Amino acid sequence: MTTRPALLALVLSCTAIAGAYLLAFLPGGAPPIAAWGLAIGSAGVLASMMALGAARGGRLRPMATLASVLTFLVVSGGFGLALLLPANEGRDAVIVLGFPLRTAIVLYVVGLVPLLFLPALYAASFDADTLSDGDLERVRLASAEGTGAERADAERASAERAALERE
Amino acid sequence: MTVGQALLQAAPAALRHPAIIGTALVYFVVVGAIGIWATRRTKSAGDFFIAGKGIGVVTLAIAAMASTLSGFAFIGGPGLVYSVGTGAVFIVLSASITNTLGAWVLAKRMRLLGEARGLITVPDAIGARFRSPAAQGLSAIAMLVAIIGYMATNFLALGLVIDAMFGTGLSLGIWLAMLVTLSYTVTGGILAGVYTDLFEGLVKTAASVTVFYYVLTASGGLTGISRAIGAVDDAFMGPWGKMPAMSALSLFFVFGLGSLGQPHVAHKFYMLRDPRRLKWYPLLMSAAMALTLLLFVGVGMAVRAQVALGAMPPLARADDATPAFVLGFTPSAVAGLVFSGVIAAGMSTVNSFMNIGAAAITHDLPRALGRRVDNELRWGRAWTLVLSIAAALLAQVSGTLVAFLGIFGYGLFAATLVPSLAIGLNWKGATREGAIASIATGLVLTLALETLGYFKVFSLPAGVTVSGMSLLLSLLVFFVVSWTTRARAAEQLDADVRVVMEI
Repeated sequence: MTTRPALLALVLSCTAIAGAYLLAFLPGGAPPIAAWGLAIGSAGVLASMMALGAARGGRLRPMATLASVLTFLVVSGGFGLALLLPANEGRDAVIVLGFPLRTAIVLYVVGLVPLLFLPALYAASFDADTLSDGDLERVRLASAEGTGAERADAERASAERAALERE
Repeated sequence: MTVGQALLQAAPAALRHPAIIGTALVYFVVVGAIGIWATRRTKSAGDFFIAGKGIGVVTLAIAAMASTLSGFAFIGGPGLVYSVGTGAVFIVLSASITNTLGAWVLAKRMRLLGEARGLITVPDAIGARFRSPAAQGLSAIAMLVAIIGYMATNFLALGLVIDAMFGTGLSLGIWLAMLVTLSYTVTGGILAGVYTDLFEGLVKTAASVTVFYYVLTASGGLTGISRAIGAVDDAFMGPWGKMPAMSALSLFFVFGLGSLGQPHVAHKFYMLRDPRRLKWYPLLMSAAMALTLLLFVGVGMAVRAQVALGAMPPLARADDATPAFVLGFTPSAVAGLVFSGVIAAGMSTVNSFMNIGAAAITHDLPRALGRRVDNELRWGRAWTLVLSIAAALLAQVSGTLVAFLGIFGYGLFAATLVPSLAIGLNWKGATREGAIASIATGLVLTLALETLGYFKVFSLPAGVTVSGMSLLLSLLVFFVVSWTTRARAAEQLDADVRVVMEI
């Protein structure tokens, strides 16, 4: 997977949210599908930004791909189930882990489950995929070369000015 | 403003209990001691603005959490949960994702840019990425607009809290709050800021976990809360609370993606001593955040359950939820810890903004104009003082305007910084034209829509927030303008920046 699909997914997700917002301007307010646009769009925005940020040299490694895909599935799935299931939060509500079913899905699936895998995937892939000692060395070298090139540019410009003044 | 108003209405006599005042005084003494220690170690602009690149990952994570969660997390948030139900939790729901997201999108690249270029501010990163002083200056201006509002609202809130606890009067309370925060920020800079943030973060976490224990015991656990509320109000405990689904999801979008544009968090990535320690940042930050948000989620529901059970009268103001709960259901020492946590929340947010505001004026704006300030440390201290006095004066004289300025801070940061910073650092096809256009779009749209809404000239339909609309449009402008000017993208990337973006 490259960053291009991630970028495309980001643009499409933003478009889905824009569509949802536009529907809200309709007389009578937003139809139910607008909430779906925001639910899927928000999941897509977060997952595609994650993929964009985790990419190295334009390519996405397996652990980061897994993190992005799981994020999308968990968020869109959690919100999707809450939108699909019938409302039942009153006196006869089915309580799961302290909350009515649909609320438990949102709070635990979207609000808790990513905590269980995202930091772990990040830490597990960090040395190989995110930042190694070699990467740091590469940055320091590029920085030193940049500084050297800037110094050479400044010296060249100064010499040219001096030559012009002599003329 | 609501923080202090809530406390004022929550029986000042109860707040003046010796245990509460004693805890608050101990808190101030510790903060003062950290300030003195940091002042002795602050010897350069690098120490003042980025803590000499010398902090560890635990300090980074807890300080970032402390400055992210302002007084709103302890007072306004629980109040919102009390009034609209679980829908209010969507403000913090994305915290399960945003800390790891921030690590991948921002932390590594900003820290490496700091390594390569010696950068010290968030606009520095935008300027370096796009080789554009204009983008750097414009982002600094956008940040300053939001910072002044944030600082003024927090001074007002802190002034009201100090007045409620010590009976100083509002005016003196504002100036005392300003002087205490200023005393360690102007001398110890961000070094004092991050270590007081560390202490304040620990206070907040301890307060939140302790209060959550009382939430569970007072109301028969979460099931007891759900049953009690469900018997009288179907919607409250629904997945969106009493809000339309679209409004709740809109909060999730803004606070999820918007987290990548918060300069007081992004700025801290420069300070990390060893970039390789970022490996543990998401784990530490997520754990700290989850524990500290227990109070946000639990108190509003617990108070609503107590009202449903007839054990408490309905609150006159939703923001009274936390003061009413801690004064009614926890021992005085815990109440003292919570009120110290409220002060901590305000001060840790303000000191970060004092520092990045001073950096914007001392460092970013002169660079945008092609100039450099000779002694950034001295001028940084001077501008910290000026900004603080200006914000305190604004807090004192402008009443509701301050609340108005404080409302859109988060959204303004998000709309102006997410495209150019978060996407810009990760997409080589982005251009300086796209960055400048998106920052300008975010700034103008947020100011215009918030102003029109405030004066009731125009408001967006239900489910569409100003922050969401501004963020979305600035993103779309960023994509469209970058795409139309894509031929210039490659020439706008310096070699070292390209290396940072490829890693």
